[in-house]
Amino acid sequence: MKNVRVWFKKQDECIYISHLDLNRCMLRALHKSKLPIWHTEGYNPHPFVTFALPLSLGFVGEKESMDIRLLDEEYPFEKIREELNKCLPKGIRVFKVTEPVMKPGKIAYASFKMCLSSDKISCDRLMEICKELFSLDEILIDKKSKKGVKQVDLKPSLVKYSLNRQIGCVEINITLPAGSTNNVNPNLILDALNKYYSIEVNSKTTRLDIFDENFEEFK
Amino acid sequence: MINKDVEKLLLKVQKPGRYVGGELNAVVKNKEDVDVRFAFCFPDTYEVGMSHLGMKILYSLFNSVDYIWCERVFAPWIDMEKLMVENDIPLYGLESGDPITDFDFIGFTLQYELSYTNVLNMLKLAKIPIYSKDRKELNRIVVAGGPCACNPEPIADFIDIFFLGEGEEVDLEVIELYRKCKAENKTKAEFLKLAAQIEGVYVPSLYDVTYNEDGTIKSVTPKENAPAVVNKRLIMNMDDSYYPDNFVVPMVEIVHDRAVEEIFRGCIRGCRFCQAGYIYRPVREKSADVINSQCHTLCENTGYDEVSLSSLSSSDYSNIVPLLEKLNKWSKDEKVSISLPSLRVDGFSDDIMNKIKTVRKSGLTFAPEAGSQRLRDVINKNVREEELLSTCSVAFNGGWTNVKLYFMIGLPTETFDDVAAIAKLGQSVVNEYYSCPNKPKGKSVNVTVSTSSFVPKPFTPFQWEPQDTIEQLHTKQKHLKESITTKKINYNYHDADTSFLEAVFARGDRKLCKAMAVACEKGFHFDGWGECFSLEKWLEVFEECGIDPAFYANRRRSFDEILPWDHLDYGVTKEHLIRECKKAYEDTPTPHCRLKCSNCGAAKYKGGVCFEKRKSMV
Repeated sequence: MKNVRVWFKKQDECIYISHLDLNRCMLRALHKSKLPIWHTEGYNPHPFVTFALPLSLGFVGEKESMDIRLLDEEYPFEKIREELNKCLPKGIRVFKVTEPVMKPGKIAYASFKMCLSSDKISCDRLMEICKELFSLDEILIDKKSKKGVKQVDLKPSLVKYSLNRQIGCVEINITLPAGSTNNVNPNLILDALNKYYSIEVNSKTTRLDIFDENFEEFK
Repeated sequence: MINKDVEKLLLKVQKPGRYVGGELNAVVKNKEDVDVRFAFCFPDTYEVGMSHLGMKILYSLFNSVDYIWCERVFAPWIDMEKLMVENDIPLYGLESGDPITDFDFIGFTLQYELSYTNVLNMLKLAKIPIYSKDRKELNRIVVAGGPCACNPEPIADFIDIFFLGEGEEVDLEVIELYRKCKAENKTKAEFLKLAAQIEGVYVPSLYDVTYNEDGTIKSVTPKENAPAVVNKRLIMNMDDSYYPDNFVVPMVEIVHDRAVEEIFRGCIRGCRFCQAGYIYRPVREKSADVINSQCHTLCENTGYDEVSLSSLSSSDYSNIVPLLEKLNKWSKDEKVSISLPSLRVDGFSDDIMNKIKTVRKSGLTFAPEAGSQRLRDVINKNVREEELLSTCSVAFNGGWTNVKLYFMIGLPTETFDDVAAIAKLGQSVVNEYYSCPNKPKGKSVNVTVSTSSFVPKPFTPFQWEPQDTIEQLHTKQKHLKESITTKKINYNYHDADTSFLEAVFARGDRKLCKAMAVACEKGFHFDGWGECFSLEKWLEVFEECGIDPAFYANRRRSFDEILPWDHLDYGVTKEHLIRECKKAYEDTPTPHCRLKCSNCGAAKYKGGVCFEKRKSMV
């Protein structure tokens, strides 16, 4: 038995499915592919899968990963990629399969690209507002979780970022804390813009990459 | 394909995955390469519509024809609908993202009466005039089929063509005729006149209906050479009939998220309240080998790990145990579970039980329908209390602790004692559990009793019956609730208000079209959903249109009254229905088709169970 890490993109129509739906979708693809993988041995046997870091609904994922357990240790990685792609909706594409190097528990940061726009104000104005927001000393917003609503300061998380005025949008490239202990969703920036400047901003958001605490790329 | 305008709305609505398409096995064609674009509309949400087998069959069948591109369209949920209207986005097909406004066909499947307002609302959202007469060109032909097409009169003014019976053949014949008429530059009127000559096609605009002073029908007169009686179409050979080898596999969870294999059509039983049991006659089975290989292919192509054997009464399949044995040969190794919905109380044996729970254990639901033996005889539900109890005992010994029992209240001849008998039957099931030697250790039993309200339907022996008034139904619900004395029984009941509206539409005539149009204008939709349904608002509409809904729901018809659906023929003769109605009043059951033919009329189709050798004769 051997663990392998399946790397895939989540794009197009598939950005609109939740993590739970993605999980079901992967289980069906694995079942259809007939890859020699290990199933759980409980009451309802199903393929064993773990996702490194769930992706919010609506985000494009450039480098998502899922771990599976192969029964046939010699099974070629390239064949896993091919077989799974035959069984997945076209918005989910496996682009490589590797041996896992890091444990998902090591994940500490994720980088995002956001393209912000608003129907109400111009991009120039939006750019000014974003600059202003990012330079505030304290950005207090409500963060919703299963346990309830908690007020948090976004400011300490806004460390590694760049703001660029692009054609038709304001582009933010930002690296935010991620993982099971401290996770900051980039949508909180939109909430902050709404709270401080009363404007509704849309964003096309892409998660580009995932890192450990030393900003080493997740492998 | 997501259209740019829609994309802006998606993150503002619940479950946006319903509005984007892009699923595994969805069919995308080049619109330049096809002659006919067909919008297959299911007048309910994505989750409900995607669970429907008929749509899967016809979607695949239509798309197997090179010149047709069939796309799926569902009713957007109220949050999405609001945003689409605000942003002026017309209803679109999931495959192309194109508005369906100018498609060649807009097809609806009519599964339940309460979806009628959604049909009209979807036309409105697609920016298509709702009245048939206001669509003058030969395009966007609005067609409809499904069980409710057996009395389509309440929506006759809006639909150009109804398909009666099973659609596999007739739909394609009509599409082909359209293509030809289009090529020859014919008008819509010419096309409809020609279409009416195809068996199974009902063009309501070619029939004039007149009424007596008391509101009943005086005459139905065909014109333009349309047939005086329209016959349903049906497929006789189930093995050779088209069945998809592939389903669109949804990415968001739907109501029935599994592969579905149809094992037979029709039902041998003849329960007197059940419309499906009459309009799908005769029973036609698929052979076990075909079922086995179709199940296997479907699982391979979709990745589903569960396949459900679908029919009106699956344990009545003549070779059910050998079939399950065949399926079990591969299903276990491939980690696929087999589920059998629609099990009859008398069809659940140890043998079947052991074969359906090999991988996963599904819940147990039985439908005795009535509490007392007398009333079960009236409705011809040939199930005895001993059978129910022995079946439950099999289940309890096999480890089950939850049983659901479905009943109807408001059945013809029902008394308060019959209602109280439901509680008694529930109690007997509870007692049965405690007397089982091998019941699960340390667990309590849970019996769920659900009641729905009886709705008299066309083409059943009860088509002449009045429905209980809402007040009567409430009193009976209360009586049942008070008759239940144990906490081991949970009692749920279906809202009587919706059943009343269902009864109005089920046996309605064309005078209701006006109310439909008014309801559409007022923005009615999703009547089948508690969030949206309001009987009060509907009563206002009826009042405004001068319609008395009780005329349709609560009135007893005489056997010689012309019924709104009398010019449609589903095989079963009116004489048979009258005979059955009279037998109901004598508390006399009728044996099922395999025991004895009761000469219902369906033998005229020359196939199916009507020509099987009966066991009693062998």
